[in-house]
Amino acid sequence: MIHSVGDKLSGFTRKITQERVNSYAEASGDHNPIHLNAAYAASTKFGTRIAHGMLSLALVTEMLAIDFPKTWHSGGNIKVRFSAPVIPGETVKIHGEITDITETDLGLIAICSIGCKKPDGTNAVVGQATVPLE
Amino acid sequence: MTTPLISTAAVGHEFGPYDVTISSETANIYTKAIGGFESPDYGDAQPPLIMVAIALTKLIDELGIFSSGLQTIHAGQEVGWVRPVKIGEKIYAVGKLAGNSARGNNRFATVKVCYEDKTGTNVGSSSTTIIVTAEQP
Repeated sequence: MIHSVGDKLSGFTRKITQERVNSYAEASGDHNPIHLNAAYAASTKFGTRIAHGMLSLALVTEMLAIDFPKTWHSGGNIKVRFSAPVIPGETVKIHGEITDITETDLGLIAICSIGCKKPDGTNAVVGQATVPLE
Repeated sequence: MTTPLISTAAVGHEFGPYDVTISSETANIYTKAIGGFESPDYGDAQPPLIMVAIALTKLIDELGIFSSGLQTIHAGQEVGWVRPVKIGEKIYAVGKLAGNSARGNNRFATVKVCYEDKTGTNVGSSSTTIIVTAEQP
C-alpha cells in the first residue's frame, strides 16, 4: 500500500494497437474516422490514424484503480489535458507519483501527478489526480 | 450544410438525459480495448471511464460536429466519482454547456456532465473541453 509523498504509482507500459482502437470505437460508439479510416486520417493534420484520447486516459485510470482499489471509485478525481495524440502501434508508458497528502474534512487525500507518455517521452496525457486514502 | 448546434448553443444549454447504462457485452469490448495483464479486476462494477466515453460520444453527436464536416480535438478532461457503478445499473448523463467561444477559426467548448442513478442520486461528474476545427478532408 502506498501512502507517502514521493511514492511512485504502479505504472506500466502498453502497446496501443489499431485493434484496441477499433474495439474502443465499438464500445464507446465513437466512430470518428480520424481513429478508424486510414485514408481520411491521412488527409488530416496528423497524417495518420490516432487513438482516442479517452483510451489513453482509461489506462491512466487503470493505474489509479490498481493503487487505490477501494477509494478511486469512491471520491477519486482526475483533471488532465491531452497534449499529443497516440499513434496506433506506439507503446505508451503510464506513470504517476504521490506529490502531496493533505488532510480534509473527509480524511486524508493523496494528490498525484499522473500521465501517459509516448515512446519519445513526450506527454500524451498529463494531469493530476486526488484520491482519498483508506 | 446545416449549422451545427455547437455554433449556436449558448452557455447553459442542456444536453440529455442520455442513457449511459453499460451492458456486460459493452463492458467486455471496452475491457478488451484497454486491458492488459496488469488490469484490475473490477468485479461486478464497470470500468469507471466507460460511461464518460459514451456520454461524450452522445454529446458530440448532438453538437452536430461530425455531421457538419467539422473535426474535434479533445483538449481536456475532468472526472470525479462518488461511488462505483455496477454493470447493467441504470445511469443517466445530463450535460450543460459551460463554455463556448470562438477564437480564430477554432471553437472552444466545455461541457459539464452529471451522472445519476435511477433515484436521481449523483454518482459522478465530468467536464470535457474540446476544440472544434473547420478541418475537412
